Amino acid sequence: MKRRAMFFRMITASLLRRRSRMLIALLSIAIGATILAGLVTVYVDVPRQMAAQFRSYGANMILMPAGSGVLSEADAEAAQTVIPGEELVGATPYRYVYLNMVRRQQTFAAAGTEFDQVQKTSPYFKVVGRYPSEPRQVLVGKSVADTIGVKENSVMELTWFPPSVDAAESPASGAAEIAPGMVLSGQAAGFGMQEGMNNKPVYVVVTIGDDGTIASLTVDTSGESEGFGTQCSESFFTDRFIGKPARDLELGKDVDAVSGATITSAAVVEAVNSAAPVDDTAAVLTPRTVNYTVVGILETGGEEEDYIYMSLDDMASITGQAGQVDFVELSVSASQDSLERYAQEISDSGRATARLVKRVIRSEATVLGKLQALVFLVTAVVLVLTMVSVSTTMMAVVAERRREIGLRKALGASDNAIRVEFLGEGLFLGALGGLLGAGLGFVFAQVVSVNVFGSDIRFSMLLLPVTVIVSMMVAALSCLLPVRRAVAIDPALVLKGE
Amino acid sequence: MPLLEIRNVSKIYGELKALDDVSLHVDQGEWVAIMGPSGSGKSTMMNIIGCMDKPSMGQVILDGVDISKESSKRLTDIRRDKIGLIFQQFHMVNYLTAVENVMVSQYYHSMPDEKEALEALERVGLRERARHLPSQLSGGEQQRVCVARALINHPELILADEPTGNLDEANENIVLDLFRQLHNEGTTLIVVTHDPEVAEVAQRTVVLEHGRMVREIVNERFGK
Ligand SMILES: Nc1ncnc2c1ncn2[C@@H]1O[C@H](COP(=O)(O)OP(=O)(O)OP(=O)(O)O)[C@@H](O)[C@H]1O
Ligand SMILES: [Mg+2]
Repeated sequence: MKRRAMFFRMITASLLRRRSRMLIALLSIAIGATILAGLVTVYVDVPRQMAAQFRSYGANMILMPAGSGVLSEADAEAAQTVIPGEELVGATPYRYVYLNMVRRQQTFAAAGTEFDQVQKTSPYFKVVGRYPSEPRQVLVGKSVADTIGVKENSVMELTWFPPSVDAAESPASGAAEIAPGMVLSGQAAGFGMQEGMNNKPVYVVVTIGDDGTIASLTVDTSGESEGFGTQCSESFFTDRFIGKPARDLELGKDVDAVSGATITSAAVVEAVNSAAPVDDTAAVLTPRTVNYTVVGILETGGEEEDYIYMSLDDMASITGQAGQVDFVELSVSASQDSLERYAQEISDSGRATARLVKRVIRSEATVLGKLQALVFLVTAVVLVLTMVSVSTTMMAVVAERRREIGLRKALGASDNAIRVEFLGEGLFLGALGGLLGAGLGFVFAQVVSVNVFGSDIRFSMLLLPVTVIVSMMVAALSCLLPVRRAVAIDPALVLKGE
Repeated sequence: MPLLEIRNVSKIYGELKALDDVSLHVDQGEWVAIMGPSGSGKSTMMNIIGCMDKPSMGQVILDGVDISKESSKRLTDIRRDKIGLIFQQFHMVNYLTAVENVMVSQYYHSMPDEKEALEALERVGLRERARHLPSQLSGGEQQRVCVARALINHPELILADEPTGNLDEANENIVLDLFRQLHNEGTTLIVVTHDPEVAEVAQRTVVLEHGRMVREIVNERFGK
């Protein structure tokens, strides 16, 4: 029989036949190794998890119009090509307009967007119900839904009013020269602006003919009382303005009021008198009303709850304006340096201005750094605790085996032989505990990952040898002091007589 | 030719002289008994001869080497190579079987050889109990395993401290028979004992009292 075989026979006999004591040491190492393996796994996997996690905190870059211009969808898309496709998690355009709920006499901010992208750049959005997928479906912010009392599957009637120049605020108001071919728009307080009503003015759109007089008049009286004020949008009334100048008209003198709708009639006259030229004649359209089906309620706890969301296509069809957005939210999975470079390139291209959402980016780096420090600290503490525990156990083992060690020495064991035997037992325990710990550690990491990050962990094959080797090193280190004790035992003393 | 020569050896513990100017020589192949009352220094002398302790004064020459001057590392080598030890308490490694205990001695000496170890157990009449743990053996059986362990490496000198102190008469006789065989094979034996019957079977008996050698009796009837 080889010496080595006898060596292993002695060590395994010692571990197997003196089970209880060795189990404690084994357990200490296994627990240490479990935590070590678990933390290392989490540690290795964390940057990947964190990147995904932080992307779920929303956009980290925003594209806005370059200068004071507008951002066309085409420009926005061209600007994004700077970012490599695999790094671009999502790009969500937003376009905001005000829509009116005439029946309830309330105005709401509506956002046109792309819902498949919303889910990528704002994964924290919580939708009760579902995201719109068909035309004329809307997602309603919780606070809007609470205010107007809509639920899933409710139908909402929303009206878009063409933008009108505010008579009171426009510097051009009234004073502007009237020229042939001009289009004017104006508004004035009618019956709808009186207390208890819907807080909506009367809108007018006036076109000037070649002779410099009114060629056509369109009146929006949707805010006025049905059957009375609303008559003012009918042609029998609006025809009374044709051929008249668009300035200094007087009710009763130049234009007769509709009986029973004096207030509204006066408002129309005032709106015409104060109407200002409109640059973009295409924008001047008649109000449009569309019925939408609510398919989901958005809950974020934030200001997002104050909006009504619809697809960009739906928004284009109610406003008659397509191809423009207010801004685009981007979620990019890249380092801070790359992000800064992309933003610079986009801004330099002149298509759009890119801004980074600093808060999200910085916290990403800080949290990663803190987490790494924490893992290091905990690992160090655990390793030290394991060492203390194993060392204490081995100390007790040496005390328990004083006689045996003395006997071995009396039988001719050199100090080195004693060292090798004890270190051998320690390393064996370390290897066994490390194997156990690597297995348990993976389970531990998996549990942590699922609970903290909500995703499965990736098992690194490197973990097994690393854990086993570290455990063996810890066990060997823990044995140093006990081994010194063992070597110092005097056989003459322990073997002596009684 | 002397295998062992002790010259004016003293061992002093503080005020106490455990050994006081002892001189003794033992020839190759001799069988010597050491007797004396408790505390007279018998075990102290055995430990010094067995290279587990050093004298405070004097010289101990074992097989031509002055072991009173050697380092403890060298003493371990000498003990392993030349000496077989038998203790009163029949110390065994309690988690190893009888045969494994014998093999431990081989392991430190040279090469573990299970077959040879089993033969040694056969010789002490324990072939059947080779796979038992110490806790499954009687005291007499354990001491016989210790004898097998002491003789496995064919030492020149066997040192036995009260080898029969804890044994009944039957087991005592088995052990003494084994000593007789070893003596006939030429092994030198030094046996410490309280028991005059055990001393009587030796060639020569040295008597210690208060650390001094007070008497030496040659057994006229030895071998008869
Ligand atoms: N390490 C020590 N320190 C102090 N005194 C010791 C030591 N070892 C032995 N002695 C003392 O030396 C004396 C001789 O002891 P020793 O063990 O040699 O006696 P012994 O003859 O073997 O006795 P017994 O028959 O009881 O075994 C005793 O008085 C003992 O107390
Ligand atoms: Mg004694």
